Amino acid sequence: MAMKRRTEPSQELNLVPIMNLVTILIPVLLMAAQFVSLAVIDSTLPAIGPPQPMEEEPDKKPLMLSLALSQKGITILGADMVLFPEGAPPAPAEGTEKPPTLPCKSGSTCTGLDDYDWEQLRVKLNLIKDQYPDDQNVILVPDNAIHYEILVKTMDVARDDDQTKDADGKARLLFPFVVIAGGAI
Amino acid sequence: MKKARRASAATELNITSMMDMMTIILVFLLKSFASTEVNVTPSDELVLPFSTATKNPELAVQLTVERDKIIVDGVEVMQLIEVDDPNNPGQKVPAVAETDLKGQLIGPLSDRLTEKAETAKAIGEKTGNEKMAFKGQILLMVDSKMPFNVLRSVMYTAGQAQFGEFRFVVYKLRE
Repeated sequence: MAMKRRTEPSQELNLVPIMNLVTILIPVLLMAAQFVSLAVIDSTLPAIGPPQPMEEEPDKKPLMLSLALSQKGITILGADMVLFPEGAPPAPAEGTEKPPTLPCKSGSTCTGLDDYDWEQLRVKLNLIKDQYPDDQNVILVPDNAIHYEILVKTMDVARDDDQTKDADGKARLLFPFVVIAGGAI
Repeated sequence: MKKARRASAATELNITSMMDMMTIILVFLLKSFASTEVNVTPSDELVLPFSTATKNPELAVQLTVERDKIIVDGVEVMQLIEVDDPNNPGQKVPAVAETDLKGQLIGPLSDRLTEKAETAKAIGEKTGNEKMAFKGQILLMVDSKMPFNVLRSVMYTAGQAQFGEFRFVVYKLRE
């Protein structure tokens, strides 16, 4: 009986030191844990300085692609010859405002992020990129009341198109370099 | 004798199942261990937008624009006020108080950022390290519902303080 009792404790592993270690490790890791991952979008102020020397191509005007964001929708500026190959649409009658290129889905005023026509913007930007494969810049011109999330979403759509793959199987790069202009004050 | 053995068995705790649990939690936490240098504390006043961007953030001056205040590197600089939304009557939107504005420039923020830029430049010159040199990078953490006029003033002010390389911090949508 006495002998049996002496061998008994050695059969079970002493887990208490491991428990101590794990109990300390868990709070440490909890503090350092990151449950949402972050990313950054680069942007610069509009460059101030002498204009860059441009390589003149007689047939091709430089693309100055701008996206004007307003409560009424998105207007694509500087690419009329791509969007309207048969010539620009007639100017609106006096007193009426020119409608945006991509009006809101629900009507005249966009109610939120999903009300803007992102799908059409993606299609149109792809068309423009086909014509200007070397151009990578886009200028955003938001209205005063435009929310920051709409800006970010526009940058996302303009950066790449994950529905069109390039040769490497990556999302097709559209216009990754974004400059935010002062907007209509 | 028999009685004593029963008592000792009762005082011993079976910790094997707890160990199992702890091991699983440990593995999970190790997996979510933060590897980036930038950290954001989400709150009701600061909800970052989601984006498909994939570039990882690098350490720089952090400028946070919450719905009610502006923070630079963890220190509150100024309060924002609420005004009526001209497009949605009855709703409030954040704005910069007129008293803080000089044209587009936000006074208190400009002072703080200029200070930061000078410190960063001094450090860059003293160390002579290429990595520490002042590049004018600034991390912008902005609430997703912030109207653009506030953002424009903030960006203009940062630009005047020689921070011209903006890094908008967003939540990553795809891994």
